Amino acid sequence: MVVGDVTTGTDVLVIGAGPGGYVAAIRAGQLGKDVTLVEADAFGGVCLNYGCIPSKALISATDVAHHARHAERMGIHADPAIDLTGMVNWKDSVVRRLTKGVEKLCENAGVELIEGRAEFVDEHKARIVHGGDGQGSETIEFEHAIVATGSRPIEVPGFEFDGTHVLSSRDALSLDTVPEKLVTIGAGYIGMELSTTFQKMGADVTVVEMLDDALPGYEDDVARVVRDRAEDLGIDFEFGLAASDWERTDDGMVVRAEDEDGEISEFAADKVLVAVGRQPVTDTLNLDATDIEPTENGFIETDEQCRSGVESIFAIGDVAGEPMLAHKASAEGEIAAEVIAGEPAAMDQQAIPAAVFTDPEIGTVGMTSEEAEQAGFDPIVGQFPLRASGRALSMNDTDGFVRVVADGDSEFVLGAQIVAPEASELIAEMGLAIEMGAQLEDVAATIHTHPTLSEATMEACANALGKAIHTMNR
Amino acid sequence: MAFEFKLPDVGEGVAEGELVTWHVAPGDAIEEDQVLAEVETDKALVDVPSPKTGTIRELRFEEGDVVPVGDVLVTIDVEGEEPDAEPETTDASQADAADVEAATKAAESEADATEAEGDETSATGGRVFAAPSARRLARELGVDIETVSGSGPGGRVTEMDVRASAEEAESETTTSDSDSAGETAEAASDAESTETPEESQPAGNGQTATRATQVQAADREQTLATPATRRVANEVGVDVNEVPTDVTRDGEPFVDEAAVREYAEAQQAAQAADTEALAGEQEPAAATGAEPTAEAERERREPYKGVRKTIGDQMERSKYTAPHVTHHDKVDVTGLVEAREKLKPRAEERGIKLTYMPFVMKAVVAALKEYPDLNTSLDEENDEIVYKNYYNVGVATATEAGLMVPVVDDVDRKGLLQLSSELNELVEKARDRSISLDELRGGTFSITNFGAIGGEYATPIINYPETAILGLGAIEERPWVKDGEVVPRKVMTVSLSIDHRVIDGAEAAAFTNTLMEYLEDPTLLLLE
Ligand SMILES: Cc1cc2nc3c(=O)[nH]c(=O)nc-3n(C[C@H](O)[C@H](O)[C@H](O)COP(=O)(O)OP(=O)(O)OC[C@H]3O[C@@H](n4cnc5c(N)ncnc54)[C@H](O)[C@@H]3O)c2cc1C
Repeated sequence: MVVGDVTTGTDVLVIGAGPGGYVAAIRAGQLGKDVTLVEADAFGGVCLNYGCIPSKALISATDVAHHARHAERMGIHADPAIDLTGMVNWKDSVVRRLTKGVEKLCENAGVELIEGRAEFVDEHKARIVHGGDGQGSETIEFEHAIVATGSRPIEVPGFEFDGTHVLSSRDALSLDTVPEKLVTIGAGYIGMELSTTFQKMGADVTVVEMLDDALPGYEDDVARVVRDRAEDLGIDFEFGLAASDWERTDDGMVVRAEDEDGEISEFAADKVLVAVGRQPVTDTLNLDATDIEPTENGFIETDEQCRSGVESIFAIGDVAGEPMLAHKASAEGEIAAEVIAGEPAAMDQQAIPAAVFTDPEIGTVGMTSEEAEQAGFDPIVGQFPLRASGRALSMNDTDGFVRVVADGDSEFVLGAQIVAPEASELIAEMGLAIEMGAQLEDVAATIHTHPTLSEATMEACANALGKAIHTMNR
Repeated sequence: MAFEFKLPDVGEGVAEGELVTWHVAPGDAIEEDQVLAEVETDKALVDVPSPKTGTIRELRFEEGDVVPVGDVLVTIDVEGEEPDAEPETTDASQADAADVEAATKAAESEADATEAEGDETSATGGRVFAAPSARRLARELGVDIETVSGSGPGGRVTEMDVRASAEEAESETTTSDSDSAGETAEAASDAESTETPEESQPAGNGQTATRATQVQAADREQTLATPATRRVANEVGVDVNEVPTDVTRDGEPFVDEAAVREYAEAQQAAQAADTEALAGEQEPAAATGAEPTAEAERERREPYKGVRKTIGDQMERSKYTAPHVTHHDKVDVTGLVEAREKLKPRAEERGIKLTYMPFVMKAVVAALKEYPDLNTSLDEENDEIVYKNYYNVGVATATEAGLMVPVVDDVDRKGLLQLSSELNELVEKARDRSISLDELRGGTFSITNFGAIGGEYATPIINYPETAILGLGAIEERPWVKDGEVVPRKVMTVSLSIDHRVIDGAEAAAFTNTLMEYLEDPTLLLLE
């Protein structure tokens, strides 16, 4: 790098190369824009490096062992050993492959990749700060900027991340040995996914949650299936407790938590994983140089076209608000790029699906029955229990159900909640149904492959119409 | 017993007519041949005369109804015959029963209709159901998808709905009449200045707000409202933040549907008053209409019927039946312009306005004689091509009701002046809708003068079952190479569409070349 300041120009400056930023950059490149993508840490962002992909890699790998270990009923007797270092190495190779792929895709789309941190100089200029001092910096003038700086884990006071005792999700995905005793603070989706995985790896996991149930935000009957399974696996839940501090002990640490009456409970542990949520990253950006004013929660507010209040600056992904999910980031990335290229794009999708990779998985999309009612619909509901699914039985995995919510008058599909193995895959069909404005009959009358779990979706829709075959119609 | 007068066949092949005006009312005494009603058919307004003398008993249809030929239009107590004193006679009561049934049916279907309407607005809870592809199309066409009414299952908005809505919006904002009657519609024998649209701008929220002098508009940043309410607000063109309310929920101002409607009505009233004050004697439709809703301003629905529908059906049939090929060319008509200049004063002396059209008609006929394949129709039933040895030329004419093609018969046997006066008369009749069906039928070839409104080339749609149509562009002075030099000449463009089933491209080109020879040098027509 040259010492001193250099100024270059670009049509579109994309800041942050997560699933929001890199997708925006590729699309803008496809649309003929001159694009520069700046990333301060690792191409692929949280999702590819420390989030979705690595966590799913560990979950899947662990399940191989877990299933083998619990297959006596199926006539399989095995006691697989988990070598976490080996598993993490494999996971890293997956990540490397994907992140290299992202770089290639960007280059193929004509995107210029720059390593460094971008901060605004004004609303048409940003400085790229390279790691270390005295490295010089370059200034990039841009016509449009897309802010895709993502999010970072929230710290609990008293539990500053140190990577050895107090772990963030990112740390937890790179351990070389399985902790004997793990305390997880927070029973949200990341906490539940990782707790389940570590329990399956052989750790003794205790989940400490301030609220009184796991997976807040999900309907009770949905969360219950997952919590019951987690308890069966041996996870202890401690609800109604707020973690207050921790201390080192001779053989590890002790984590203290307090209930609402101020009563303290202590939990011995080797490590504590803090997963209480994520917060948007804007402090890397020098937003003060622009007229953008983050909201109280730190998000950059945007409209349907991903525009911030400032004409030249767009924001997408986690930094632009809930839901903080990779696919939402990518969808917004495409929209922002298209809008900049003058296309009439807008985020007018009716639903954004969400998946939780627990055991069993959860997949949701659109409205719950209650939400539909609040929105002024007169909803009808169809449900199909997995124990009635031939495929679930043949997989020896029958906990859960598929539920579909539709408008009672028009029979349009409004939402679905699925707790089942592969729910993350099953939910896609319902997402399509919602976006297409499908009616229950459209799904119910589509022939689904037998024997698959997807038949449960078809049957749930039929059930809402009072004509399911393999379950009682209400 | 009363005489039942059925709607007669008012023109060959006409299956139904729209009842435009009743000239009689129950109890009226009428004479035989006295006009009972005016019915708009296929192509023209037709007076329906009474076949009997007597007293009108009952009108069976209302103005605006579409009456199938053969349906009882009116019952007449015929003079000299005994009017039934007792309606309870068998026949009459049967008729009554039928009526009652019909009435209930009508009531039912009306109820259905309102129900269906209700469905559209409320059941979807403020949500529009449409595939992402339809949403994208809507954005591309600049259509607010929330305003599109869906024709798909359950009211789903389809791509077709979006396109229809876009077209509607367009025709509302461009011209108020002479709307897109296929490409030939632009044909007018005189250039008609395109009228400026009088209204039909979507009722923008801001606009309504500024006009609403008498309603106190609130001005909040944020308002709680259910999606259903928001939808209603959207439909009636009201910003929920402007709707006055004292109600709060969770500390936020809350507005319900009733409040939105009330505010919309108040605004309407205020706006109507404003308009009245502004327009003085000019009667504002909004003020006199039974229920002026803002929705009516946002989009307008007109029945697709009568002349409009005839044109549409005709265009559709032509375009989908006859594979069209259009041949374009340019011709130096300086000679023609000069000839007309010379003859014009002479014609004027005899009170005739001489346009270019008679010249073109003559030239066309001369060329048709050389290329009879273009003066044909295809008899699909018998698989025969019908060659016409007569030359009846239709001239596309824009009228308020839409496109009409009056036909001048036997063009080969008439002189320029006669053609001129006949054509002028026919156009006049078409415009005031006194033209008879006969005058619109029997053409063998058509001409459309799209250049009168402006335009270089167009793709005329054949006046089916004819097999060719000639489109004329405007005559303009252009640089033209003549004898190796560029000189300014009067140049006209021509576009000839042919039915490729009957005519081949080479023939079309040959015909056009011959035609152009005549247009270039009209004295050649003297040899005819
Ligand atoms: C353990 C875990 C599991 C997850 N699982 C899932 C899942 O299964 N499904 C799902 O949908 N989501 C999941 N997520 C969430 C998902 O990772 C995020 O929603 C997604 O990464 C957001 O993408 P983004 O592009 O907005 O930002 P990020 O992926 O956070 O990327 C932002 C990038 O911007 C860079 N950056 C920040 N500031 C600057 C600057 N000034 N200059 C240059 N670069 C900068 C950062 O280094 C970062 O690489 C998971 C997250 C975690 C932590």
